[in-house]
Amino acid sequence: MTTEIVGGAALAPPTAIGGRRSARLRQLAPFLPAMVIIVGLFVVPLALMFVFSFWSTNENLDVVPVWTLENYQNFFTNPTYVRTLFKTMVIGAGVTVVCLVVAFVVAYFLSRYVSRRWARIALLIIIVPFWTSYLLRVYSWQAILGEHGALNQVLVGLGILREPSLLFVYNDFGTFIVLAYLYIPFAALVLYASLERFDFTQLTAAQDLGAGPVAAFRRVLLPQIRPGLITACIFVFIPILGEFLTPSMVGGAQGLLIANLLANFFKTALIPEGAAVGFLIAAFVTALLIVFRRYLRVEDVVVRG
Amino acid sequence: MNRLDNQLSRRRFLQASAAVGAAVSLGGITAACNAIGQPAVQGGTFNWMTWGDHYIDTQLKAIEASDKIVPQISELAGNAEGFAKLKEVKGELDQMSGDALWVPDAYFAEGLIEPFDINELKVSSQLYPFARQFEIWTKPEGYLGYPFGWSPISIYYNVEHVTPAPDSWAVLLDPKYKGRIVIENQPEEIVAYMGKASGVDDVYNMTDDQLATVKGLLEQLKPNVLKFAQQATDSVNAMISEEAWLITGNLGNEDRVKDGGGPEIKGFIPKEGTVGWMDAEMIVKEGKNKSLLFPFMEKSQQAEYIAENFITHGRPLFNEAAYKILVDKGEGDRADRYLYNKAEETLAKTTLKGPGTSTEKSIQLFNEVFGA
Repeated sequence: MTTEIVGGAALAPPTAIGGRRSARLRQLAPFLPAMVIIVGLFVVPLALMFVFSFWSTNENLDVVPVWTLENYQNFFTNPTYVRTLFKTMVIGAGVTVVCLVVAFVVAYFLSRYVSRRWARIALLIIIVPFWTSYLLRVYSWQAILGEHGALNQVLVGLGILREPSLLFVYNDFGTFIVLAYLYIPFAALVLYASLERFDFTQLTAAQDLGAGPVAAFRRVLLPQIRPGLITACIFVFIPILGEFLTPSMVGGAQGLLIANLLANFFKTALIPEGAAVGFLIAAFVTALLIVFRRYLRVEDVVVRG
Repeated sequence: MNRLDNQLSRRRFLQASAAVGAAVSLGGITAACNAIGQPAVQGGTFNWMTWGDHYIDTQLKAIEASDKIVPQISELAGNAEGFAKLKEVKGELDQMSGDALWVPDAYFAEGLIEPFDINELKVSSQLYPFARQFEIWTKPEGYLGYPFGWSPISIYYNVEHVTPAPDSWAVLLDPKYKGRIVIENQPEEIVAYMGKASGVDDVYNMTDDQLATVKGLLEQLKPNVLKFAQQATDSVNAMISEEAWLITGNLGNEDRVKDGGGPEIKGFIPKEGTVGWMDAEMIVKEGKNKSLLFPFMEKSQQAEYIAENFITHGRPLFNEAAYKILVDKGEGDRADRYLYNKAEETLAKTTLKGPGTSTEKSIQLFNEVFGA
């Protein structure tokens, strides 16, 4: 039985087309749950959103199925949306870089210099914040960065500031700091999984063969942990494009990102207008994933993790 | 792990899954049989979409204990969102809360709610008489909703930091208060406030020229806004911590800030006029559990509960008998300060919340100013 499944179509008699087909179907069967999830929860909603984005809303807030490009025109002719999308991408890219750097240092140290037992304990500590709610973690940053927050109290106490500063929160800086905090654990876990499998004697060997530390790092280590780096980028950058809660809680009126503008449409039942902005973000994310996919071979993930 | 281990563990996994599945199925069937075998009980559950200040837990528990009626509550974020939601789910909801002109112009106009004879509810005799006769909620088919609470939108200021005492929307635009204002995150309402500031009366139906003027005011407002509060308590907390010196909100925030240990604040209704709301409980036309709503309202709208609601949430309501209870309990002064018994005259001076022709343009305008 096992042989038949593994061998599949190759072992079936050439004339038994039906058997070959059923063997192929059996091979595809394990993908069915994933297919259902992707089609049902991604492709269909995206298609619906795409259709809605070409419709409009009347004064009764009814969706009117009359085809129009107006929603997309509004997006591209109103510089605010393009600017806000660009700003979101810049913040997302900046946060991704910070997360990768911090996470890399932590993961490198843990995988190279710390015993596996202690590394696991350290990783547990890194993921402990996930045991509390996202909302609570963001609220706690309001308490840390706020005018009467811990940071201001320390800085005023040390005499670095004469009076509490309003610059730490309710602006882009506050959004940046909190997003970096929220996403560093994702990057750290992924990078640790990559670095844990890396044989560090290769770095020594490279240096024995005349490579400097930077060259060894760049030409030996980086290529081997590339899947981990790309996966970390995906885990950090893409969710930030849709971040709504953090900017609305610590970004204030000056630190809104594109998802906050998008939410304003849905809050007022302007569904087609929101769908157009949402679809553009989704299209951008999909394009980005395709680009990442070019640099991420499946076997890299499977073999190297 | 070798291949044999794999097969064994897979088999075990399947066996365990089958056992768990069978147990769950058996449990479900048993529970269903038990339910069928039991005699029908009085009461039941119904679905209610409402704001968090329309009920208090002790009230719901008492009604559950006495009448076995349990509302399953889903949070209502705003009128437009609630209206869109009801259009989508229709009979899956039984009772819906809605504001002022949203009730006739949106919910009733779309045929989503069922008018009723308010006098059939004995508890309605506890309402102020005018609350049973609001013109906007009176239709030949009946009354559109059971009146609940109301408030004009006021501006509150920290008396130590905001001087001289303001009386106009213009205080929100004063550069002296950069980063010191917190406003609830309702874009169309913020645009409406600036509409009022510019002297427009019908702020939900603004012309392009009026919106252009409002845009200028929003641009002046932007640097002064510290953050948009996700809920009223965020504004109150910002006042308590003195992060904010000015907030907008319903009647009653002076005491909420004081009760929270915050500084002295005062509120005022801007001289240019303001936006107001008055909300009601509506019966959803296609609701499947409508029969529970009258018994529930008879209990939940009793003056004792409404008085308790006022003490908890601190904004006026339409129940006159509750006002008398508040006076008897020594809360009369507070009720008077919050204009509890002056609903008719106060609301007459406000522009009531409702759907408008300029909603989409208002949102675009808000995004344009507050985006990057």
